[in-house]
Amino acid sequence: MTSFQWIAFVVLAVPFVLTVTLTVRRTIAPRVGLAWGLLWIAAAVLIARPELTAVLARALGIGRGTDLVFYFAILAMVFGFFSVYVRLRRIESDLTKLVRELALRSAAEPEDQRITRSERKP
Amino acid sequence: MSGAWVVVPAYNESEVLGGVVRGLVERGHRVVVVDDGSTDGTAASALASGARVLRHALNRGQGAALQTGIAYALARGAEQVVTFDSDGQHVPEDVEALLAPLQAGRADVVLGSRFIGRSEGVPPIRRMVLAAAVVFTRLASGARVTDTHNGLRAFSRTAAEKIDIRLDRMAHASEILDQIVRHGLRFEEVPVHVRYTAYSRRKGQSSLAALRILADYVVGRWMR
Repeated sequence: MTSFQWIAFVVLAVPFVLTVTLTVRRTIAPRVGLAWGLLWIAAAVLIARPELTAVLARALGIGRGTDLVFYFAILAMVFGFFSVYVRLRRIESDLTKLVRELALRSAAEPEDQRITRSERKP
Repeated sequence: MSGAWVVVPAYNESEVLGGVVRGLVERGHRVVVVDDGSTDGTAASALASGARVLRHALNRGQGAALQTGIAYALARGAEQVVTFDSDGQHVPEDVEALLAPLQAGRADVVLGSRFIGRSEGVPPIRRMVLAAAVVFTRLASGARVTDTHNGLRAFSRTAAEKIDIRLDRMAHASEILDQIVRHGLRFEEVPVHVRYTAYSRRKGQSSLAALRILADYVVGRWMR
């Protein structure tokens, strides 16, 4: 084991423990927890046995193991950006609904204020 | 007073909004201004000019403001809903021309078009961008219109109830056309004036904004 591998294991242990904790507490769905858990284990396995990436790469028709890791990292990032973008749009749309609801509840009507306030609710 | 409500979305338009609202009120229209989170005296000047005012606590964009105003007008029993820009580009006299096909029962939606009307000083680049928008809209939604981005529109009550603007910013113009086609609403175009004043050109969208509007629209359609 090289020192890099030991450092990587320690670094990976943090999200792994966090994933297990959140899954046990039901903060994240069991399915999501399992997916993340498998990801951290896969990362640890590939760090322990780097030559396995070359085997996988060849099976997929990619030259080197490092290229395989590189491509998957890019795919993961694109997917990550996309999920954040989708969530952002949902939040923006929720925010608009909230702002609209507030606006509709506090409509100002010049003539109604002079006559009666009881008519203000539609 | 007719059963028509005029919805005016406004963002920092205190300079000209009072005149716009008075022009509409004087012609007997009920006006609701949606102040889209302005930081100037927009709400006060609208209220002083005789409009009802809804205030967005945060700026959410013209599409969002229109939907708020339409929801309010419908809740107050509007028989027709007209949308009208706040920057003085539209002429209050055109509202009656817009309502006529609705009242005659010929159409569910009436759209103002600056290209079958007499428009003053449409900048040449703007003319080209708008022509491209017309071609794009015909391809994307199949709506055969001559002016896709005109803020002056009129909806019958049933049409207004079906329209659900979800694109908060400027792409709502294409979204409305999509929904008109999707709900099978009968629409008609009538010529309207669009005044390109120094103020409207300074306050309005730059022609480059068309690219952002296009992106917003494409993503919105696909994520619907």
